[in-house]
Amino acid sequence: MQQIDPSLIKGLTIAIGAIGPALGVGLIGASAVQSIGRNPEVQGKVLSAAFIMAGLVDAVLAFVLLIVFTTS
Amino acid sequence: MLEHFAANGPSVPLAAEPIFHVGPLAVTNSMLFGVITGVLVLVIFIIAARKSTLKPKSKFSFAIESLVEFLLNIAVENFSTRKQAYKHLPLLITLFTFILFANLSGLIPGVGTVVLATPDGQVPLLRAFTTDLNGTLALAVLTIVTVQFYAIKELGIVGHLKHYFTDKPWNPINLFIGLIEVMGEFIRILTLSMRLFGVIYAGEVLLHVIGEIAGNFGWAATTPVYLMEVFFSVIQAYLFVMLTTVYLSIATAHNSDSPEHEDYKDHSNATVKPATDVIK
Repeated sequence: MQQIDPSLIKGLTIAIGAIGPALGVGLIGASAVQSIGRNPEVQGKVLSAAFIMAGLVDAVLAFVLLIVFTTS
Repeated sequence: MLEHFAANGPSVPLAAEPIFHVGPLAVTNSMLFGVITGVLVLVIFIIAARKSTLKPKSKFSFAIESLVEFLLNIAVENFSTRKQAYKHLPLLITLFTFILFANLSGLIPGVGTVVLATPDGQVPLLRAFTTDLNGTLALAVLTIVTVQFYAIKELGIVGHLKHYFTDKPWNPINLFIGLIEVMGEFIRILTLSMRLFGVIYAGEVLLHVIGEIAGNFGWAATTPVYLMEVFFSVIQAYLFVMLTTVYLSIATAHNSDSPEHEDYKDHSNATVKPATDVIK
């Protein structure tokens, strides 16, 4: 079997691992903007909840970066 | 480019390096900086408390008071009674400020670049406390143990176990769900620590990598990443405190059929009301 270039695997790890968090952050942002558009008075509450969820989702990308950068 | 890192390994090692030994105990650079951060937070709060007056004169102490009020609002929104919110407020303030300062401390110029010559080679003298898994694990264990302690103190051991196993623990489904809930407590420790560690450590490594890739233009390339790290530091500290509040309020909540809101009325200024009261 042919030897696979490790840098290819690293690139693929970041690329595939970023799909999920990207979708997640996009959905959070979309629904936050939507709910603010519907009810602008709750902007503060919606935004703080959205930031919390964005923080939770971003942790996944952080794990991906962690694994990529710490394995050689 | 990535081959370069594959050859050299990570620019920031996963484990914190020991800088000196006290007997058998190795003191790592993150422990040292953690203590420094803690002392700094203490000093800031002591100065703010000394300068704090009824009519704010010093901007500094007013800023700290605003921070405390911000956290108080979070606590009041989540706990069922205002008394409980005041009771748990010190823990929340301590966690928030310490985690925030520890997160931001990794971004100070000189941290990680000033090295110390030890027998094992050159070792960074300082390293942010939250970029060490031992540190974040300690914070998570502290949080969950506190939650358990207050839950048992508030409800008694039987009442606390009823949170997991309900009233009929020998019903197989209840038993099974209860066991999963108990395991969930350990998973909470894991997720709390890994989230904080992962985000802050990955940010640190990302700064190094971007800086090395950009070469001479590292100062320009790292600026957006740097600002993003400031944002993430605040978000992660907020998230940690938010989750602690939610865990505490769930664990210390009495059953919903016996509302105990008498002590709430004494303090209410009718400005901030817990959300649960509005629903009822």
